[in-house]
Amino acid sequence: MDMAFIIETIVKIVVILLVFSALAGLGTYFERKVLAFMQRRLGPMHVGPFGLLQVAADGVKLFTKEDIIPQNVVKPIFKIAPVITAATAFMAAAAIPFWPEFSVFGYKVHPIVADVNIGILYVLGVMAIGLYGPLLGGMASANKFSLISAARSAAVFISYEVISGLSLLAPLMMVGSLSLIDINNYQAGGIGNWIVWSQPVAFILFWIAAFAETGRTPFHLIANDHEIIDGFGTEYSGMRWGLFFIGEYANMFFISFVIAIIFLGGFGDGSIAGAFQLLLKVSFFFFFFLWTRAAWPDVRPDQLMWLCWKVLMPLAVVNVVITGLVMMF
Amino acid sequence: MNEITITIDGKEVRTQEGEFILNAARSNGIFVPAICYLTRCSPTLACRICLVEADGKQVYACNAKAKQGMNITTTTPTIETEKRAIMEVYDVNHPLECGVCDQSGECELQNYTLEVGVDKQTYSIADTHKPAQDWGLIHYDPALCIMCERCITVCKDMIGDAALSTVARGGENIEAAFKESMPKDAYAMWNKLNKSLIAPNAGDTLDCTNCGECTAVCPVGALVSSDYQYTSNAWEHQQIPATCAHCSAGCQISYDIKHTDIANSEAKIYRVKNEWNYVSLCGAGRYGYDFENKNVTKDPEAFDAALRAFKNADTIAFTSTITNEEAMILQRLKEKFGYKLINDEARVFKNFLSNYSTITGESLYHGSLKEVHEADFVVSIGTALKTDNPNARFAMNNALSMNKGAGLYFHPINDPVIADMSKNVTQMNHAPLMEEAALYLILDLFGDKSALPATMTDYLATFHSTKTVTVEETVDEKVTETVVKKGLNEETGVEEEVSEQVTKIVKKKVSKEIEVDENALLELLNAPKGFKETLTKYLAKKSTFALMVGPDLYTHPNAANCARLVGLIEKYTAFSVTMIPNLANTLGVALICDLDETAGAFTIGYNTAGNFTLSALGGGDLDMPALNQQEGTLVSIDKRVNPTNAALPYSGYELNDIASALGMSTSLAVDYTSQLPLSAGFKAVEFDTLPNYYTNAGEEVRGYLLESQHCSVSGDESVQPFSQENTLSGEVVYLANPVLQFSPFTAASHQLQEEGGLYGSTTFMSTHGLSEGDRVRVKTTHGERVLPILHDLKIAGDIPYLPTFDSKINSSALFGDYRFVSVSIQKV
Amino acid sequence: MHHNEPLNDRNVSEQSPYFYVDIEAYPTTNWDKFKQVVKRTFNGELFVGLWVVMREMIKFDIHTVQYPKEKLPIGPRYRAVHKLLRLWESGYERCIGCGLCEKICISDCIRMETKIDENSRKEVTEYSINLGRCIFCGYCAEVCPELAIVHGQRYENGSEQRAHFVIKDDMLTPLDWLTSGQQEEFPGFGAITPNESVTKTPLAY
Repeated sequence: MDMAFIIETIVKIVVILLVFSALAGLGTYFERKVLAFMQRRLGPMHVGPFGLLQVAADGVKLFTKEDIIPQNVVKPIFKIAPVITAATAFMAAAAIPFWPEFSVFGYKVHPIVADVNIGILYVLGVMAIGLYGPLLGGMASANKFSLISAARSAAVFISYEVISGLSLLAPLMMVGSLSLIDINNYQAGGIGNWIVWSQPVAFILFWIAAFAETGRTPFHLIANDHEIIDGFGTEYSGMRWGLFFIGEYANMFFISFVIAIIFLGGFGDGSIAGAFQLLLKVSFFFFFFLWTRAAWPDVRPDQLMWLCWKVLMPLAVVNVVITGLVMMF
Repeated sequence: MNEITITIDGKEVRTQEGEFILNAARSNGIFVPAICYLTRCSPTLACRICLVEADGKQVYACNAKAKQGMNITTTTPTIETEKRAIMEVYDVNHPLECGVCDQSGECELQNYTLEVGVDKQTYSIADTHKPAQDWGLIHYDPALCIMCERCITVCKDMIGDAALSTVARGGENIEAAFKESMPKDAYAMWNKLNKSLIAPNAGDTLDCTNCGECTAVCPVGALVSSDYQYTSNAWEHQQIPATCAHCSAGCQISYDIKHTDIANSEAKIYRVKNEWNYVSLCGAGRYGYDFENKNVTKDPEAFDAALRAFKNADTIAFTSTITNEEAMILQRLKEKFGYKLINDEARVFKNFLSNYSTITGESLYHGSLKEVHEADFVVSIGTALKTDNPNARFAMNNALSMNKGAGLYFHPINDPVIADMSKNVTQMNHAPLMEEAALYLILDLFGDKSALPATMTDYLATFHSTKTVTVEETVDEKVTETVVKKGLNEETGVEEEVSEQVTKIVKKKVSKEIEVDENALLELLNAPKGFKETLTKYLAKKSTFALMVGPDLYTHPNAANCARLVGLIEKYTAFSVTMIPNLANTLGVALICDLDETAGAFTIGYNTAGNFTLSALGGGDLDMPALNQQEGTLVSIDKRVNPTNAALPYSGYELNDIASALGMSTSLAVDYTSQLPLSAGFKAVEFDTLPNYYTNAGEEVRGYLLESQHCSVSGDESVQPFSQENTLSGEVVYLANPVLQFSPFTAASHQLQEEGGLYGSTTFMSTHGLSEGDRVRVKTTHGERVLPILHDLKIAGDIPYLPTFDSKINSSALFGDYRFVSVSIQKV
Repeated sequence: MHHNEPLNDRNVSEQSPYFYVDIEAYPTTNWDKFKQVVKRTFNGELFVGLWVVMREMIKFDIHTVQYPKEKLPIGPRYRAVHKLLRLWESGYERCIGCGLCEKICISDCIRMETKIDENSRKEVTEYSINLGRCIFCGYCAEVCPELAIVHGQRYENGSEQRAHFVIKDDMLTPLDWLTSGQQEEFPGFGAITPNESVTKTPLAY
């Protein structure tokens, strides 16, 4: 490995970290605004123009708040848990191509940290490790609500890993590669080539699983405010809680990229138009997370499990079998 | 009196024969409205609202007496109509100023108007302007007055000042049409009401002893306390049941407290209330309530200094304005550390009691003020009754006026208040030191000569001699004539002319020579001429005798002899003896503490001078709570152990803290209540279980009564003869307080603040050429003072007195043991 | 099959705008449950919700009142911080110090000091309401026989301490306000209906 590659990678990592940390903050702003508008409210209005600097104010607050470690918690685990959530979220981003290749002063930039040939496997795997954040944090908190949350997060994540994995199997069988760039290039021919047309069931299943894995409404069970306070986050304060938050929003962005790349053609042929189309698609999926939160109620944990094992998993298996049969004959 | 059974509204009720129906109903919880009636006073028949039907006849419950088997109905349609009309009449022109009136909320006019349900007014008359009058401590608003005359009644029948009476009201007459249309009693009541108003006998202002009982009994806001006026509303007060701390009467009072002002939530006493149907207060009790030790905080340095002082001290001097519990603490301190306890005034009383016991075999005197109230012949010896114990004076007056009683008053200082009580009271203004002669006189006049020791009868006989005198006797002759006179028809309330036959008694004078027995004792006691005849008249139909003796006897040089004479009176006459203790708790202190005669080297003074002073008056070395700031018990003249409660907060140290620091572990002073000496007649009762109230029947449910203990009697009933030569030479001065004052505590209250001086009667001032405000040098063998002259209208004769309430004067230091002392008075 | 409501009389009638919601019975057999799932899945209910919120966002009909900058008008009978009124004709204080407000106050937050003044009238020297305890029930205004204490329109009681007081000077109409006609009769609790018999002060009838 030459020095340039190392520097480039470090620069890319730093840029992704900065951009998505900032986006996580902005994401909260958009979420509040969108929810407010949908509920005929105004949302944040007073910090900065249209309340834009609310994000900064929240940041200042989170950074300056006292970091409270309650007396009976398992301290090392309690301290490390938020880091796991944030770190795995960003680590998963390593294999995601955010943008088509482009040139800066003749230097060719690959806007992907590592184009590994098992890209999507890596992404899903690392995201799955994110489970340990809520699980450990919840179990270490010495709080019954956090403990319930930990149990729920383990159940939900593990269950919906099955759905996301099985639903992706069919498109991957068609593409024949685990690299996200290969998957993108497979659909480079335009809208007609998007996998969503050939694998609509897989698309829906993966999308549903994405809600469960990011813990968003209607599957917002692991930190369901009206039942279990803030779940695993109940005992956290200041920036440790903020890390959980950043992790959640970063995950929302990254999973939006993954859906857009796998099913909706990604950045297409790599042209500028394709690149902006990718951003639009990602924006739509992110917006959809907010939209559902405004419109839909949460389901119960038992309904979620029922949906997973009795509806979605059989559908995914059937989808894989049918895809296999179609490919064989 | 026989117990009888009557029926009221179908309920069988037991009562005494001759009891008023109203009282019988009240004591059995049956409601009969009455506005003008006062228990213990004579019925006035002013309000007429107490109408009931007895055996089918309409009578006034307040003056109709119960008879065996009487059947009484409290409501009939006629009575209801009358009551309704009466209340409407009371509401005619009554100013609608309940919003500002002090009585609002406890107003009987409000209550009965609502009770009867007056919702419209049928009657009317033109109103007249009746401006409010300021009578010093009392404020009278005639516009609010409903002429129930309770003030007049209580002042005459209970207090004895008779300072109020009715005057013509002026204004228009009632429209003739009403006479036909109105119920009869309501019209009669209105007719009477419309003719009169209340006014002081002395003209523009009151000439009385300022007891304020008229304001207490006033059912409306016509008579109110000037100081209290418009400062608060009745319902805002929390009432703290207590016992008055000023004199030995131990009256039940309630301190009415409320927050001080909008910014200060600390309690403040706004007024004192009493159950006026059963207990009457004097002015000191009513107006002298804020004597608390103000702004006291815990001062640890002063407390340490006090503990050091207690280590050094060998004597504790104190006054009797303390609770039994404090007295008990002092006694325990004496037992533990050997302090001498100095309290001269309680000591002489204690000695007097024990000498009395050597004759009677009882540790306590027999009588009480209740017995005085019920007596029909009352004698007072050796006490300035109206100022030593105002309630004893009220009792005597009440007995004289309600029981058609008579009385004798032996005291060197002539008291116009006593003279005004009744025409059946004789004052004997004997020379000081002649109290023994008075006691001998009582034995002579009332003693059972057959039972009295022979030495005594012989001695008494030496005062008697026989003499022939010419007397003018009046003979009655009956003459009958017819006269026409105007009279008020009671039933219709109209004046009409009536002719009637009047039998007049014309007196004729006849001269006669008779042999009379002359009693030298009467001469010695300055009895008025013809006293023997007066006494015979007094004693007609008398059955209950009460004798009150006072501090002059306890301090008398021959006090032991006086006590034994009093004992003999108790034993050999029909008199029930009541002793008036000097101060609020003199009796309690005398029973609890072993008192010493001479002080040691280092004295701790409690409310009195000492090398280190504990003071509830402020200004001492260590502050103590005053009696309205602590709970405890006080022994009254009625030998009753009365509880009193803390009306005001106190955040300093108290005597119990010192005792605890000295190793007597008791958390509260009232823990000593149950430890008071059983041998002195106290009971082992916890403080918190002591009640403090009167029942509807007037029964006094307060604390408990001391039990008189039996003492061994030697059988020696000899007493010493008294010496007629033993007199005080020259001018004398007396140690007493003016009306409204008892001690520095009364003078500390804001309404009674006063500077003391030499108090003299009008006679005294004119014979000495003095006028009010002059300064005189008062010199006795014990010291001298330069004091202002103060004019006391409520005494006569030429003996002035010095007060004890002004601690700056320290009058008692000018006196020996006796309450009188020879004095020279020079104008400066 | 209807789910039976335990309470029957809910004042529901033909004319009333209220009606019973059709509550379906819970499915019991597996087949019923399956049918329910299918029905709900393809019924498009989820999309109705999505449509409604999207529609509202596009309409952008915002109802927020930006409170410190914008204030809603309050009802004339609104019970906010109390006022003490004066008589129109003479300018005297209406309060006579009867203490009824103090008595009726259920949170015991009114205190006053009164004394006799030089004209032998009852003068209210101090009057205070502890707004930390006041529940603004309006009993004081209702019981006042003189229409002296009324509720005003000042509802902003933010304070640095719990025991936040108003005293007489804060509540009493200043004399210059009275002369310039700024004192308003309170139409709320205890007020009289103005008519010919009431010209100026409602007490003059």
